[in-house]
Amino acid sequence: MNLLEVKNLRVTFATETGQVQAVRGVSFSLGHERLGIVGESGSGKTMTGRAVLRLVRPPGRIEADAMTFDGRDILHAPEREMRALRGKRIGMVMQDPKYSLNPVMTVGRQLTEGLRLRDGLGRADAAAKAIAALEAVQIRDPRRVMDAYPHELSGGMGQRVMIAMMLIPEPDLLIADEPTSALDVTVQAEVLSILDGLVRDRGMGLIFISHDLRLVARFCDRVLVMHKGLVVEEIEAAHLLEARHPYTRGLLNCLPRIGGPRGPLPVLDRAGI
Amino acid sequence: MTALIEIENLTVAFRSKGREVRAVEGVSLSVEARESHGLVGESGSGKSTILRAICGMAPVTGGSIRIGGRPVPTPRGRAFSTEVQMVFQDPYASLHPRHTIDRTLSEPLAIHGLPGADARVVQALTEVGLPPAFRFRYPHQLSGGQRQRVAIARALMLKPKILLLDEPTSALDASVQAEVLNLLNRLRAEQGLTFLMVSHDLAVIDHMCDRIMVLQHGRSVEEITRDDLAHARMTTAYARSLFDASADRMLDGTTEPTS
Ligand SMILES: Nc1ncnc2c1ncn2[C@@H]1O[C@H](COP(=O)(O)OP(=O)(O)O)[C@@H](O)[C@H]1O
Ligand SMILES: Nc1ncnc2c1ncn2[C@@H]1O[C@H](COP(=O)(O)OP(=O)(O)O)[C@@H](O)[C@H]1O
Ligand SMILES: [Mg+2]
Ligand SMILES: [Mg+2]
Repeated sequence: MNLLEVKNLRVTFATETGQVQAVRGVSFSLGHERLGIVGESGSGKTMTGRAVLRLVRPPGRIEADAMTFDGRDILHAPEREMRALRGKRIGMVMQDPKYSLNPVMTVGRQLTEGLRLRDGLGRADAAAKAIAALEAVQIRDPRRVMDAYPHELSGGMGQRVMIAMMLIPEPDLLIADEPTSALDVTVQAEVLSILDGLVRDRGMGLIFISHDLRLVARFCDRVLVMHKGLVVEEIEAAHLLEARHPYTRGLLNCLPRIGGPRGPLPVLDRAGI
Repeated sequence: MTALIEIENLTVAFRSKGREVRAVEGVSLSVEARESHGLVGESGSGKSTILRAICGMAPVTGGSIRIGGRPVPTPRGRAFSTEVQMVFQDPYASLHPRHTIDRTLSEPLAIHGLPGADARVVQALTEVGLPPAFRFRYPHQLSGGQRQRVAIARALMLKPKILLLDEPTSALDASVQAEVLNLLNRLRAEQGLTFLMVSHDLAVIDHMCDRIMVLQHGRSVEEITRDDLAHARMTTAYARSLFDASADRMLDGTTEPTS
């Protein structure tokens, strides 16, 4: 049985100017593996990820033929059941940590709150676990970070705190929406290898959303390429360079490469897609 | 012959909460006319501060900056802005949200009392590949790539010789990035421009620049030619770690992540 099964997912927004179809029939399944979702901004990556957690705000509407997590119907599950899944069995790292961390609460309190309320840990045990999680995401001075408020952290630090927070309950599935886009390349590589290790060691499933085809090719097993709300190509990451779809090829070719040719970069032929 | 941009021993120190933050320390750099020079390094390494110091927007506490052999005046003044212009990462933040594109583009001419604004606005839009009718739009009516084209058009209104480019494509999708990089290269060739360009993306810098300075903690750790970069002939461990982690190398499928 697959960890996650999504069939013909649609996300639609009712706006003054009519219906906006953000996701137009996406299907995929996920085991204990790393699935990448790539595409340009506006292609529906974030909405696909949020729909799995049923976190699309009105006027957005989620429809699908089926959506199951670990055999459970998460399309029709009551909201109470979804709340129990979110954060605990399915974690999500949002694109912008600034909006996901509570600005008026210290990092330490945010990290330990769930452990104390949900898992009934004492103050000292919860703090120890939180510090261990911060260390796992390569934060060198976890005690200082525990006392900090989110605005006192750099973007990269905030993103790592987010990842630490999501990992504390040891979820079975992590949805990471552009988790490294705000990070320096060296830090990016570190964070990705942390996620990598979690998939390998804990058998976690990972949905890795990114606009960067190169990262996805390197760090995922399988890739969905999205364009205008549709999956235009599904491909083994190792074979991405042999992608056939003109959109995928266009995205690959427009990237400059170290030591590559100096002439004009190929641009996407939008008419040809 | 002297270089067009000469920076010698530049030091910039900010005062923050009573503490001194040395953002740039003893950096020397020279860029020949028509050359394209890159600055790379992790965030906080001082790249933006160097560009801002050239424009008089950072507290220079040591060293000198010369343009065309002459020390830059303080304040920079009008003559400076006809020679040097800057383009920022976030085209949304750098364009006035309530000014039409027409007003944004004609303002530099008005400030300098230059005539013919109407024709120049149309010409500038055409040069950056936008339809002339875009002059009547506001920034929020443009896509990110279109806004960056407007920002580039505005920087070119006064016909400067030097463009300082601070992560000009970092906020754009790869396909739009390619269009903007192509535009910048075309304009550099057509107008004989000199670039000093900042990016955290080594592949972008490699594509755009002849020579590259690697910065770390406000200091220059290595200067390398494009050819040496392509052949991984860097001499410092830090430059190599940037090279190894560059996402572009991940396409080869042969490189392991640094861990
Ligand atoms: N509240 C909303 N109202 C209308 N359209 C929306 C809303 N939120 C998102 N969309 C649209 O949904 C599409 C997909 O968005 P998103 O999933 O965020 O794209 P991505 O993450 O790939 O950049 C976009 O075209 C966006 O304009
Ligand atoms: N206005 C400022 N006040 C205080 N510190 C600053 C200011 N601007 C930049 N800095 C500091 O200077 C250093 C270099 O910043 P910056 O030049 O923006 O780096 P980069 O562009 O390489 O990311 C950083 O430590 C930053 O926090
Ligand atoms: Mg998104
Ligand atoms: Mg900067």
